[in-house]
Amino acid sequence: MGEAIVVTSGKGGVGKTTSSANIGTALALLGKKVCMVDTDIGLRNLDVVMGLENRIIFDVVDVATGTCRLEQALIKDKRFETLSLLPAAQTKDKLALKEDAMHKIIDQLKEQFDYVIIDCPAGIEHGFRVAITAADKAIVVTTPEQAAVRDADRVIGLLEQQQIPSPKLIVNRIRPTMVKNGDMLDIDDIISILSLDLLGIVPDDEHVIRAANKGEPTVMRPDSPASMGYRNIARRIIGDPVPLMTLQVDEGGFFQKMKKWMGRR
Amino acid sequence: MGRSVRSIQKNVSELVTVKGIRHGLLFVLSDQADFAEVIKELGRKIPTSLSNLEAKVTVYFDTGERELGDDAKQAIYALFEDHKNLTIGGYEGSPSPLVVKAKEPYVFKGTVRSGMVIEHDGDVVILGDVNPGAQVIASGDIYVMGHLRGSTHAGATGNHKAVIAACYFSPIQIRIAHVLSRGPDVKASAAEMEFAYLNGEQMAIEQLAYLGQHRAHVASFVRL
Repeated sequence: MGEAIVVTSGKGGVGKTTSSANIGTALALLGKKVCMVDTDIGLRNLDVVMGLENRIIFDVVDVATGTCRLEQALIKDKRFETLSLLPAAQTKDKLALKEDAMHKIIDQLKEQFDYVIIDCPAGIEHGFRVAITAADKAIVVTTPEQAAVRDADRVIGLLEQQQIPSPKLIVNRIRPTMVKNGDMLDIDDIISILSLDLLGIVPDDEHVIRAANKGEPTVMRPDSPASMGYRNIARRIIGDPVPLMTLQVDEGGFFQKMKKWMGRR
Repeated sequence: MGRSVRSIQKNVSELVTVKGIRHGLLFVLSDQADFAEVIKELGRKIPTSLSNLEAKVTVYFDTGERELGDDAKQAIYALFEDHKNLTIGGYEGSPSPLVVKAKEPYVFKGTVRSGMVIEHDGDVVILGDVNPGAQVIASGDIYVMGHLRGSTHAGATGNHKAVIAACYFSPIQIRIAHVLSRGPDVKASAAEMEFAYLNGEQMAIEQLAYLGQHRAHVASFVRL
């Protein structure tokens, strides 16, 4: 029996889909059987980030309404045998997916997979409620911005109402230089406001955008800082105690340092 | 109201007797002797008995049958001026505990998060933080045993005596009765152990240690 984890944030654009894709892939890298479920009906994009868009035939609404069997809608990842995706519907109505149908699908998936990662839509309306209804655990993604932290706080309150025990926190898109200069919210500040356990931090990384456009999750590249962040998060999910990564302030390359040194003279 | 003390006083021949009470110190002043004598004795008693006290103490006076005029009160006040740790609480004997048991306080354990509203007829105690976007509304006082960052409204039904207290005090907006006050626009670090109360029509913030002085009902309530 697997575990269903919902990835949510409240605010849009903080990296729910990117986090879902990367956590899912990183768990598959660790040899786990993982299924990712996109519940953002009408605005699906987990399939795009994973580069599996061209393989969609059926979607989650088709399964819910009984148009097809669950196995028919599942898409096998092109890189990992153990990784699957259940895509969202793009053309159907948001209300087409009901809470009891979602329960049934997730329960079925939990029998086949070790981890079911549910990518939640932005907002706190119907789509959000359906996405969290069947989750055993929750991961709240936020960025070091006041607005994102406020929304995360609201979402945590709603998760607690749903009896989802102690959600875990991911602070995404941290810029070490800005945090160091005090221009960005400190990780400690965020934790003290939200009073949650920190699951991991992900530094801001250009490679994430490049990878998403190529349809390849960032974790596939071991040399990117964001990839390290997500790999650590995946290891913590399976129960490995990994120390928190230290943020390194980017001093620039050799030539930049050289220039600085020259300029100082 | 504190009249039980009188029986003791009758047996005591001294001009001034100092007694420790729950609320601070009670000076029992003889109502038989000449008042000038009593004042002189009081002046002698204060330094010897209180010079080594460092904590803030509220003192009360029991004058028995004697009615104190403004001059007499001035004379007593003058004696206490040099003792900054002493404040005069009243001249009518030891304060009687108010009966404020009528409404049970509501105790909330956990973080009050954005979007949550806590409303209660009576006092509210939050054992946790109140985050921005959350609202706590009480007809009585509000005590936050954590970080107050959200909005709170104490004395919502018009109680001017209500207070809002927090261990870390940095609210977005506070209201007491119909008076509204907003937090500073510039981010300041949270003040520790403070409370807000109404000074006339003005919102005032003070160290939590002075809560008993400004709001006697709180002091006696807390010690009930």
